[in-house]
Amino acid sequence: MKKLTKLLALALPACMAFTACGQSAGSATTAPASTAATTETTTSAAATPTGEKMELTLWLTPSWKGVFSGDEPGADYDSFFIEAGKRYTENVNPNVTIKVEVIPGDTRDEKVSVAESTNTLPDLFYEGAFTMSSYYHNGSIVPLTDIVGAEDKTDIADGIWENCMVEDEIFVFPFAHMPGTLVYNADMLKAAGLEQYIAGEYEIATWTPDELKTILQTLHEKQPEVYPLSLFAMNNQGDTWNLTWLRMYGSKFFGPDGKLIVNDGAGVQALQYLIDLKDAGLTVPGPESLTSNDCNAMFQNKQVAVSFTNSTLFTNLQTDMNNGTLEKFDARLANIPGDPAPNSFTYVSGFMAMNTGNDARIAAAKDFIRYVCTDPALVLASKNTLPVRETVTKQVSGEMPYLQAYTDNAKFIYNFSNNMPGYKELRNVLFPELQAAFTGEKTAQQALDSYVEKGNAVIEEGRKVSVIYN
Amino acid sequence: MKNLLPKHKAKRMEPFDLVLNVVVLLGAILNLFPFYWLITGSLKTSAGIFKMPPEWFPSTFHYQNYIDLFVGQPALRWALNSILVAVVTTVLVVGCSALAAYAFAKLEFKGKSFLFALFIATLMIPKEIFIVPLFQIILKFNLSNSYLGMILPNVATAFGVFLLKGFFEGVPDSIRESGRLDGASELTVFLKLVLPIVKPGVGALFILNFVNVWNDYLWQMLISRSKEMMTLMVGTASLMQEINPNFAYKMAGATVAALPMLCIFIVFQRYFTKGITLGAVKE
Repeated sequence: MKKLTKLLALALPACMAFTACGQSAGSATTAPASTAATTETTTSAAATPTGEKMELTLWLTPSWKGVFSGDEPGADYDSFFIEAGKRYTENVNPNVTIKVEVIPGDTRDEKVSVAESTNTLPDLFYEGAFTMSSYYHNGSIVPLTDIVGAEDKTDIADGIWENCMVEDEIFVFPFAHMPGTLVYNADMLKAAGLEQYIAGEYEIATWTPDELKTILQTLHEKQPEVYPLSLFAMNNQGDTWNLTWLRMYGSKFFGPDGKLIVNDGAGVQALQYLIDLKDAGLTVPGPESLTSNDCNAMFQNKQVAVSFTNSTLFTNLQTDMNNGTLEKFDARLANIPGDPAPNSFTYVSGFMAMNTGNDARIAAAKDFIRYVCTDPALVLASKNTLPVRETVTKQVSGEMPYLQAYTDNAKFIYNFSNNMPGYKELRNVLFPELQAAFTGEKTAQQALDSYVEKGNAVIEEGRKVSVIYN
Repeated sequence: MKNLLPKHKAKRMEPFDLVLNVVVLLGAILNLFPFYWLITGSLKTSAGIFKMPPEWFPSTFHYQNYIDLFVGQPALRWALNSILVAVVTTVLVVGCSALAAYAFAKLEFKGKSFLFALFIATLMIPKEIFIVPLFQIILKFNLSNSYLGMILPNVATAFGVFLLKGFFEGVPDSIRESGRLDGASELTVFLKLVLPIVKPGVGALFILNFVNVWNDYLWQMLISRSKEMMTLMVGTASLMQEINPNFAYKMAGATVAALPMLCIFIVFQRYFTKGITLGAVKE
């Protein structure tokens, strides 16, 4: 005990001294918390910054490394944003500096929620549009409509803008995007004699639902050691693919009033299609207890022939195969089938100006966003995922062999979140119903009826508190 | 192999003992397996972790996860931050809890029972409920992005008082009285006579609290605003892409995060096991 007491007695002052140093160091390097927001909601502030000196805080979750490429020395998730801030201060507004903070993606909502409650929201956010839609509705994000020019609107596809808007207001200035598709193991299809369904190396195959069923059945017969299709419903991760499956037979999903209508005939037919595939052994077993990550890993391990992917996952897959981390195979892209046309979606990411309640800061934030999203040199960084601008696409198409296919596929893009209030909560309503359908606890009709009922309650609740609708 | 036990102590194992030993061994393997899986997983690729049938031992060692963690990122600094925050908080918690528990167990003062009940009642309030006001207080004191901001709110814990009070109550009053009769001050009695008797309890509290603070991800995430101030848990999480999570990398981070806890447990194991068993029995 003597030893322990001595140890503690020695450790305590030393540690206290260290903490005191740490505290003062922390205080010295930390900018003061964002200016306290007023209780009023600032919906717009002119994008003309005042001459006031200020440090704006930008939050982002990990997206890509480096300024223009992950190969740069010291490339990190904040590299581009730090560089953009530096260029803005040097070239545009010497009074404004940008402080960048990378925050963990899995606790983004907790962090933002506490920041909202304590008036410490950052000035800027770079994030996927659909993950932030709830914050448009609660007034934490200010519209950027006034800083979007006509040339931006023509340079960026309508499908991309739709992901960033509610009613007529733009809340996200799109910077890059990440389309979601299916991915298939072409070697397996070849081995099963399904060559006619394999598209070109840099093309996105389009199959009808019947064609997909034929592919899966043939794979099941000729390659019994692999699962033909990945399917997952354990949680809300990767649910965008499930939303797209449910549109397969033309269900509009949302009615003109913004309410769910996916329990219509087309929606039920789509879910029944998935249930039938599962019952026939054409999917991975137990999709109700599998996550998208499980399925992705199974595809990488060549245990599944057709799976889901997005442009970043697909690029990483190719990189891993090229550097020997993964065993090589011929992976190619396909759309989620649709009748009459396939559906495609994309995760749009971009800049948002947060409602800090301080007009001068909001104006400066908007000015910074306008600069980053329109500067010809900086927008080239969007090639780290996929550029949203046609002008950039043309410039970098030589470096990105799949870019043309993604661009051609843009006509199939739909806005999966509808940017509704309560989208986060709505996500948590879908997967339990899919689980019930896959386990046979509910029929396709019952599961979708239940989803529509619960989902519409969420939407109604969200609308009641939305600053956009009230 | 030589029998290490002295001859007179070497006994033939009864069948029941053998069964018990097998059961204990199986239990030990079962408990150690997650740790084994964590370490071997950290040396695989992300896809390798999900291989079916599982790869029980990595076919090739993939060190890239550790390289990514320590090269180009201040992971060492994060680890030191974690150690610092956990150690200082725990030392303060043990100190404060021991003093308060001693007072509740051995001293007589007005409103003692009420105050103790009030203390215990706070155990029923989850941290998530008061996290916003707590964060506001920290901001008011300008302690955001500082070690003190991470440490101070965790220092006053009713659990520590509750745990140690039981131990102090087990110490006979005669020890305290004889100390006082010999002219020792209350603090001397506490430090020199009573505290040494309850050291298993102190050890148990040290470990339990250290683990608790080490894993207190949410609060540390809210307080740390700069990369340099992040703890290991927060820093590792801030490198994970939501869309493309690398699980092997996550496991490398978890392995690094688990090692100090393992060391702490090994050092304090004796006190911990004693503390837990002693605390369960009250005379």
